[in-house]
Amino acid sequence: MLWLYLHFPHLVLDHIRRTRENQGALVIVEGSGQKVIQACPEAMSQGIRSGMRLKTAISLAPDLGIVRADETQEARILEDQARWLYRYAAHIVLVPPDGLLAEIGSLQKLYGGLPAVWQTVEQGLNERQLNAWIGIGYTPLAARLIARAGKGECTADKGHILRSLSQMPLLAAEFDEKACTRLQRLGLNTLGEVFDLPSGELARRLSPELLAYIQKIQGTRPDPRTPWQPPHSFRQQADFVQEIEHTQGLLFPLQRMLAELEEDLCWRQQDTDSLRLVLKHRHSEPTRLQIRTSGPEHRADNFLNLIRLRLEQHSLSSPVISMVLLVKRFLSREAPAGQDLLGETRDLNEAWHTLISRLQARLGDQALRQLSPQADHRPERAWSASEVLRKTGAPLIPAAELPRRPLWLLKGPQPLTEAPVTWFSGPERISGGWWDGQRVHRDYYIAQLNSGQLAWVFRDAREGWFVHGWFG
Amino acid sequence: MRELLNTLMQDARVWQGHRHTQTTQPAEPTGYQVLDNQLGGLGWPRGALSECLLDAPGIGELHLLLPLMQRVCAEGRTVFWLNPPHTPYAPALAREGVNLDQVVLIHTDDEGDFLWTLENCLRSPVTGLMMAWPGKLASREVRRLQLAAEAGSNVCVLFRERRYAGQNSPAALRLELEPDEQQALKVNVLKRRGSWPGQRCSLAMAQRADLSFRETTRVVRGPWSGSTG
Repeated sequence: MLWLYLHFPHLVLDHIRRTRENQGALVIVEGSGQKVIQACPEAMSQGIRSGMRLKTAISLAPDLGIVRADETQEARILEDQARWLYRYAAHIVLVPPDGLLAEIGSLQKLYGGLPAVWQTVEQGLNERQLNAWIGIGYTPLAARLIARAGKGECTADKGHILRSLSQMPLLAAEFDEKACTRLQRLGLNTLGEVFDLPSGELARRLSPELLAYIQKIQGTRPDPRTPWQPPHSFRQQADFVQEIEHTQGLLFPLQRMLAELEEDLCWRQQDTDSLRLVLKHRHSEPTRLQIRTSGPEHRADNFLNLIRLRLEQHSLSSPVISMVLLVKRFLSREAPAGQDLLGETRDLNEAWHTLISRLQARLGDQALRQLSPQADHRPERAWSASEVLRKTGAPLIPAAELPRRPLWLLKGPQPLTEAPVTWFSGPERISGGWWDGQRVHRDYYIAQLNSGQLAWVFRDAREGWFVHGWFG
Repeated sequence: MRELLNTLMQDARVWQGHRHTQTTQPAEPTGYQVLDNQLGGLGWPRGALSECLLDAPGIGELHLLLPLMQRVCAEGRTVFWLNPPHTPYAPALAREGVNLDQVVLIHTDDEGDFLWTLENCLRSPVTGLMMAWPGKLASREVRRLQLAAEAGSNVCVLFRERRYAGQNSPAALRLELEPDEQQALKVNVLKRRGSWPGQRCSLAMAQRADLSFRETTRVVRGPWSGSTG
């Protein structure tokens, strides 16, 4: 087994920097807010170093962006990286807080050699503007030590890897502090010198744990790792240093997130029809937006247009500190079937989905309705309105056996205020609803009013006369 | 004066109404031969606004559009009803052979949304027929809609009140609708592009309630109808 280790020296910094439009100086401070742990190149050029006190840093750069390190956030960001890496490698292990381990021995044949694997991973890192140190080793620990020392080279040569391990100083080998001082007192300076000690002596004089650790580096003791499984959902989060007050400011980070989503969907070969956007505020409840498309979709541009429409309708109630994009519903991608020679049906289908999605995004889902007849005698229940769906079934056969009904139905019966001029047909008695308590007992007539309108009027059991529809 | 006119005529510098050439704007037949004849054999203009001006629903205004509605649905394009004053009754539409899968009802709350929706539908190739009931429209807004209609190639009919007949409008076709005798619909062409307005015709619409005008009333009179009937 050959392992590749990715060490992210300043992952949180990278994550935040890529959602920012203007690249000002930015630092990450430790939990208590006293010390700078990571500083971006802009901050470095102004003289800020990691380990510096925050007060000093602020006096060096007054407009410094400050982000407090947060363990859960770090874990989440690391998992985001595992998600894209999973596209290239199957066996991935998370090494919190800042490392990822991938088994690449089995990938060499697929990619055509180790250099190709290395290049693929590097390209993935570049696309996401991430800084990572790569190391390769025959055991997970060896790969980790090489990567963290920054001595990673694209080679699978056992001797070479062993040599670079052996030359590593003891301090870089991540022994616990006590063991490290004891080894140093023995006069040992590099890892290679520790490797040369007989194992029995090592266990007896130092500790069995140290021996186990060394054997794990060398590969003579098994070091099983549980592989990471990607979740069945898509999640992307953007955290902002400065709170965002206008919806316009959300669009830039959204673009990147949606591009990521498109790539993820393409890779899954799936589509989605609903996105969830959660906007987190500092003091109030997060705003949740549900963006729905009328049909399966995977293109970032279309999602962005819908979200833009939606955001135009909702002004932000309070500034946004972070934004999460969630997709949990995946649909299998439709094969482009049923297409004629010129591809017209597909275009029309797409145009239909685009139009309906746009209308729904601006007007709300409830504003668009489709009608269908229902099997009921009562006129107000003989139809129903439902959500708009693209149906491609055969059109209904005209149901001539249906009784004659007006094209307009009033939203509720209106009292008849005048005596009709002419009566045409009737009565048609409609009586029903005893089964659900909505009793209807009416005699319907067709009559013409003074104004020339043809009305569908009825008389109910209490002798009241009402207009229920117009023959439009 | 007459000589002067003659010379002008000979130079063909004066446009003469009776010699105007037939325009060939894209149009959809209305399905009523009488009306088509009045509209120069064309019908509903495509890629332009049409206006129907009427006082009250129930005089046959939907039946005027029904042939087009049936045709559009059969072609697989969509009929949009934007802000109708009442509910289009699904069983009646189904009975007339309108494919309800192609009928979409839209309700908008404010005027901005109304115009936005109309514009978007008009620009889409999906739309076959757009029927809209605007509340109040400034002529600047009608102009905006006319431009949007020109971007697409579908029929758009605005139903407005008759009092707007006096207001000028950039719509390509304006029809004034009135009820006529025997439940017919009187159509008065107020404006049509490329020709003279002023044509009048009456379309038989009695079939919309299964009435034929020769027939006397079919009301079964009972003891109950004495009071109001």
